[in-house]
Amino acid sequence: MLEFYRKLLCLYPAEYRRVFGEEILAVLFQQREENSKRRLRNRTRLVMRETAGLLRGALQEHFRTITEIHQELSFATGRFAMRNGFRFPKSTIVFMTLILGGVLTAIQKGEDIATSVPHDIGPVAPIHIQPVHSILLGGMPLFFAFFYAVGLIGWAILFALRRSGVHRLDRMSTDQE
Amino acid sequence: METLPLTEPVLLILLSLAGQAQHGYAILKDVEAMSNGRVVLSTGTLYGALRRLLEDDWIERFEEEESPRGRQAYRLTAQGRRNLQLEIQRMKHITRLASLRVARQES
Repeated sequence: MLEFYRKLLCLYPAEYRRVFGEEILAVLFQQREENSKRRLRNRTRLVMRETAGLLRGALQEHFRTITEIHQELSFATGRFAMRNGFRFPKSTIVFMTLILGGVLTAIQKGEDIATSVPHDIGPVAPIHIQPVHSILLGGMPLFFAFFYAVGLIGWAILFALRRSGVHRLDRMSTDQE
Repeated sequence: METLPLTEPVLLILLSLAGQAQHGYAILKDVEAMSNGRVVLSTGTLYGALRRLLEDDWIERFEEEESPRGRQAYRLTAQGRRNLQLEIQRMKHITRLASLRVARQES
């Protein structure tokens, strides 16, 4: 089992392993010794808890290394799921639906106008105009993807600068293991 | 970075070190005992919290003198103790306030 834990520790950044690796293994060894006489169910639960803890810890340490955020991300304490800051605001869904509705209505109106115009006039020169709705519908995913990416990058910058409000919310929350 | 108010696991870790210096396994057991088995930290979680507390200079690490394999132990720094006291003051205030409000509501 210790070999398994040792392999899991390889998932941590090298610096972290250098400082805490042996110490963590010593604690895991002590735990294993203490629990060796307990029932299989308890031992299994312990292994699962420790495995999950090490995986979360590794992820957290890598995240910290990458973003230089020293705040607990709280995969470790289960707070991640509780944080308001990570919820998708309901108001955004409403606004997005309204915008989509507006765009679709505009397309419909455009089509109505196009059909109401008499066709016998005919253009002076042959003009190849693509239908408005095909342009809009074709470009819309790209349009949304672009602004989504811009928004995401902006938020990531604010998060890294600790100006996103998540850290403030984090300080207000309480949790337990 | 640890900020006030503290999360329960961090508070319990600091309380565990408030009485005396402890090594990792002793902290795990102490936290479990203090919370009556409600807060059971995994080793990965404990060392994540210890790393942050070390980084913020709330605790310090040293080699235990009497341990055979140079086991590392942890103790509170002056800053850590000060922050723990601040947190306790905050909790006292909340408790007092809550008691008053609830009592007023009941009467």
